[in-house]
Amino acid sequence: MARYIFKRLLQSAVTILLVVTVVFLLLRLMPTDYYFTDEENIKLTDQQKLDRLQGAGLLDPPLTQLVRFYKQLFTEFDLGTSRRIQANQPVTKLIGDKAGVSMRLGLIALGISLVIGVVVGVLQARNKDGIIDHAGTAYTVFVNAVPSLVTYSLILAFGARVLGLPSMYSVRKPGPSAILPIICLSVGSIAGYMLWTRRYMVDELNKDYIRLAKLKGLSTSSVMYRHVLKNAFVPLAQYLPYSILLTVGGSLLVERFFSVPGLGPLLTDAIGRYDTNVVQGLVLLYATLGIIGVFLGDILMTLIDPRIRLTSKGGTR
Amino acid sequence: MKKLLSLVLALAMVLSMAVVTTASAAEITDLRSYETTSREMETFNIHSSQLANDLNVLVNCIDGLLTNDAKGALIGNAAKEWSTPDGGKTWTFVLNDGMTWVDKDGNVKADVVAEDWLTGLEWVLNFAKNASSNTSMPMEMIAGAAEYYAYTKQLTEEQGEEAAKALTIADKFAEMVKVTAPDAKTITYECVDALTYFPSVATYNCLYPLSAKLIEEVGVDGYQGITWENLWYSGAYTITSYIHQNEKVLTANPNYWNADGVKRFNTVTIKMVEGGDVAYQLFQTGELDHVSLTQANLSTIYNSTSNEFHGNLVEARPTKYSYQIHLVYDKNNEDGTKDTNWNTAVANKNFRLAWYYGLDLTDYLARTNAINPQACQNYCYTGNAVAVNSQGVDYTQLVRDELGLQYDAEKYNRTDADKAAQYKAAAIEELTAKGVTFPVEIDYYIKGDSQVALDSAQTLKQIFSDCLGDDFVTLNILTYVSSQTNEVRKPQLASIYINGWGADFADPINFLGQETYGEDNAYYSMNYSMCNNATDEDLIATYKEFTRLTNEAKAITDDNDARYAAFAKAEAYFLQNALAIPCNYEVAWELTCINPYSKVYSAYGIQTYRYVNWETNDQIYTTDEVAALKAAYEAN
Repeated sequence: MARYIFKRLLQSAVTILLVVTVVFLLLRLMPTDYYFTDEENIKLTDQQKLDRLQGAGLLDPPLTQLVRFYKQLFTEFDLGTSRRIQANQPVTKLIGDKAGVSMRLGLIALGISLVIGVVVGVLQARNKDGIIDHAGTAYTVFVNAVPSLVTYSLILAFGARVLGLPSMYSVRKPGPSAILPIICLSVGSIAGYMLWTRRYMVDELNKDYIRLAKLKGLSTSSVMYRHVLKNAFVPLAQYLPYSILLTVGGSLLVERFFSVPGLGPLLTDAIGRYDTNVVQGLVLLYATLGIIGVFLGDILMTLIDPRIRLTSKGGTR
Repeated sequence: MKKLLSLVLALAMVLSMAVVTTASAAEITDLRSYETTSREMETFNIHSSQLANDLNVLVNCIDGLLTNDAKGALIGNAAKEWSTPDGGKTWTFVLNDGMTWVDKDGNVKADVVAEDWLTGLEWVLNFAKNASSNTSMPMEMIAGAAEYYAYTKQLTEEQGEEAAKALTIADKFAEMVKVTAPDAKTITYECVDALTYFPSVATYNCLYPLSAKLIEEVGVDGYQGITWENLWYSGAYTITSYIHQNEKVLTANPNYWNADGVKRFNTVTIKMVEGGDVAYQLFQTGELDHVSLTQANLSTIYNSTSNEFHGNLVEARPTKYSYQIHLVYDKNNEDGTKDTNWNTAVANKNFRLAWYYGLDLTDYLARTNAINPQACQNYCYTGNAVAVNSQGVDYTQLVRDELGLQYDAEKYNRTDADKAAQYKAAAIEELTAKGVTFPVEIDYYIKGDSQVALDSAQTLKQIFSDCLGDDFVTLNILTYVSSQTNEVRKPQLASIYINGWGADFADPINFLGQETYGEDNAYYSMNYSMCNNATDEDLIATYKEFTRLTNEAKAITDDNDARYAAFAKAEAYFLQNALAIPCNYEVAWELTCINPYSKVYSAYGIQTYRYVNWETNDQIYTTDEVAALKAAYEAN
């Protein structure tokens, strides 16, 4: 196992480096014209633009810039400074400030989604073709069929105008103002957990060992929770660490909609403003979280289901 | 009878006073405003910022020498008086007493002194410190500024950034740049020429102060990346909370030198919202004190008499931007070859005049102002209220007098179908002889993901079709992905652009100077119309004559009235030859608890968003109340 973990970690590190390098070089292939806003294009002379590019080191060969980037990263854990999102602020600080907000909301939403989604999914499977099952399916279909922005608008209108909840997230009063964003973050994933819990449980319910358990006289509850849910949860568990880690990344739509100062919209903003250091920092973060998340998911699966082996004579999984 | 009349008049006066008094009876002490998330601040360094997003906030944090009042007139701010002894070549500003720099919590850090303006200018001009931001105006206007910029750039290249960063006002700056502080309260600028409009430049951030003690405290690198937490403030407010993409809170500066001289809010909270619809939602739930209306929201409210806001619709004051249809005189095809058909057609005066007299832009104006489109009429190149002569006549009125063209609240006045038909016929005849094929294709580019731009472009296409005929021109709506500059302008693919230009200072040269022929700093000529590349001799002669008239006006520095009259002649010549075609002003609609006629109003520069002397009402103003406020404003 230790050897497997070491090998996976090594592979992960190489993958992350590859991803970051490719993104870094792709960003350098973009014309430097994009470095300037239209307003700057109006006010700066060509020489001044050239001077600025030179000052920012963007006229150096891409490989020279790449070496400089990795040197700063490995020696000082310095991802450079933001150019446009928050001018001259360290990228690590910018990301760090925002990641905390996204993670707080994301973890609460994930917890709520997991509890409600799994519980309702179990109830649906237990009452297959009953009212709860139909209601749950209708909810799932509604959430998946209606565009997210429409759902959020409905939640915002109902929450703000009928319940009197704040329409905007406030860092100074996070309690009540976080309710609507958390509901919006949860509606989609509740539907996801309901759908997959129900599906995996219905699959398990049709297996022979469940029939045998029932024939042996085990109670329905015991069958459902000790056998069916435990086995049905294995595929869901694989994605749990990944989901937890990616809460850091936030949600572009929800955070934009409720003005949550999280990481969600940062990557698109940074790309739109050609803030290369921020883009690189975020790519590094997301690649790392994604790869570690998958890795931890594999480990978690082996812990929940001892039948699963990551290593065998034939090689690794 | 006389007594009765007097009584009635007195009653009317009391009632009319009551309208205004009631409106301002319960003022807002803590203003709640908003900004869209795409317009978030990027820096707290007022010297390096060139974005309205930053300056709208920072102009409240640091006081410049001068500012504007609600009428747009220049008034003192940090400077209590200003004068020129030599007709505009040298300008002296005398500072107020008791001004201090404070930290975000209002603790006094240092006195504001005249040298702070020198330190600020040194920062702007120092290549290593400010990376060329905001250098253009001081370099063009202040003696020695361009040389000092070049010196710092050369020093950076030869000895590295640190050497240039170490420079202070005591070094080469004192020797090269003609700005002095003879005492702690006086600043003197020597201009490159007599510039009567120089005081209006003193409202701009390129001439804002910077304390050398702040640089001592945070270092040059620290000031480049200054945050709201370690910035020093000298303005009406300090920033006491800032959460990126969420909200910022400005709190009245407790040690503000002019606390008794201006009315301020206790706090101003600026919320960052995703878009206009969310802002409207927040306004509906009482979380904002004003909102600009989107087309959809405006239509909903306007068309429903039962709508809760139907009686509160207020027409906003015009922004400073003057929009023009810019014609391109050197257009390429997508394969890089010259679009000879277009280039030949647009060089023809009759072709352009057919547009000038033929296009009735009313439907296009309605895209900006659906209720009152004619409020957006624009028949001039220069924006409204940029300059006023000694008789109080707005410069654009002088231009319209030259053109013999006045605004009409009811109809679009520039259109003359008969003249348009004559010019069209003449153009077809002349251009057919030159091998031009009709209809002439007009390539018009919009941003691909903008439904608003597409709707406006389709309206424009219909106008061209209706007004000029499909046998004459065809408007092709084309799209770019993210950057008009890189995807369209540089490869010269468009036939026309519709762009707005806002002035940085109070002189028509700020507009007309962008269109002159053969001058490197003429922005529109160099980057949009590409008139310098034109080959048609008549067109070149027209441009040269316009340039001569403009430079003749520019040379008049001892008599502003004569200067404006000469500029008006040059602008009228430009428009009578339809070298560009005036399109519209921006006049939108809003719901507000703020008296729009009490706010700082400036047709140039950065002062518009100063939150001082605003009159407010804790209830939303009704349409009638604002009409009364407007009448009172205009009567004054």
